Amino acid sequence: MSREPNETFDPVSPEDERLVEELRRAAGRFDSPPAAVLEAARGSFTWRTIDDELAALAFDSLVDQAATAVRSSGGPRLMTFTAPGLSIEVEVSPVGPRRHLVGQLVPPQAARIDVRHADGITTVEADRLGRFSASAVSAGPVSLRCHLAATPAAPPVVTEWVPL
Amino acid sequence: MGASIEVGDLARAAAAGDPHGWNGLVERFGALVWSTARAYGLGPDAGADAAQTTWLRLAEQLDRLQDQHDRLGVWLAATARRESLRLLRAGGAEEAVAPYPAMRAEPSGHEREAQLWRLVRDLPEDCRRLLRILSTVPAPSQEEMAAALDLPVARVPAARAACLRDFHHRMATIGIKADADDS
Repeated sequence: MSREPNETFDPVSPEDERLVEELRRAAGRFDSPPAAVLEAARGSFTWRTIDDELAALAFDSLVDQAATAVRSSGGPRLMTFTAPGLSIEVEVSPVGPRRHLVGQLVPPQAARIDVRHADGITTVEADRLGRFSASAVSAGPVSLRCHLAATPAAPPVVTEWVPL
Repeated sequence: MGASIEVGDLARAAAAGDPHGWNGLVERFGALVWSTARAYGLGPDAGADAAQTTWLRLAEQLDRLQDQHDRLGVWLAATARRESLRLLRAGGAEEAVAPYPAMRAEPSGHEREAQLWRLVRDLPEDCRRLLRILSTVPAPSQEEMAAALDLPVARVPAARAACLRDFHHRMATIGIKADADDS
């Protein structure tokens, strides 16, 4: 277990060096990354999109709730993603181990939306008022990929991954 | 382990669509992402979530991170830290720590390693995180540690020295010898 060639640490005492080596053996023995976690990491590559417009998470009610130290019991979580020219508002409600999503595109417009989640992709339609919903979305990281009806040749807008 | 293959080459290959480049990044940094989530106290399920969100974010943003391709470990460590904190804020993500039997003095072999590992778990938060991340294999660079801990890079050596010094004291207090092969 040699030191990485680009590691720029100051030298440690031999005693510290031995302790760190022991801790590294212990880490490998007691808490190495589970095979399933590494498998999921490798599998994440298939989710990459090329040339999509990325919509960042601009607002998350979960953050505000934490700041006021109030934890709502099962109430909806509100999130807003923004990209140039498009906002995507999403309300998330837990339904047991799954999530129900109700959303709104701003400005209002029709679109095809791929809800990407752990179990695969659930495709839903946003009506001409930009309203959409998706049921039984598995908990875990979720990303929405929006194909706007008005501009079929334009790159889709994809929201950054957020764990639900 | 994998040190001869530059991280930047792996990242550029992955950005060009090569899954071997991607898998190389997972092999190189999978442990660091996991260690960071665990360092922040996430249980196995939440840790898996934080790790998966981190890797999904990298997949999504790899093309846009060209200027960081050579230092992707730093980006991954920072992202793993942020995702861990996000899950901690949401609640229910922390590891339930079961009480364990009292340590026996002068353990050896695997029992010694187990006791050292439990000692890490019981450290104050700052040193627990630092030593947990320092224990990663492949070893994290100074920059990667700084990103995982949200410390200025220049502070890392002193923080590491202080935590190791404190750890030695704790070992002595409960009767674990400084070296495994001390007789």
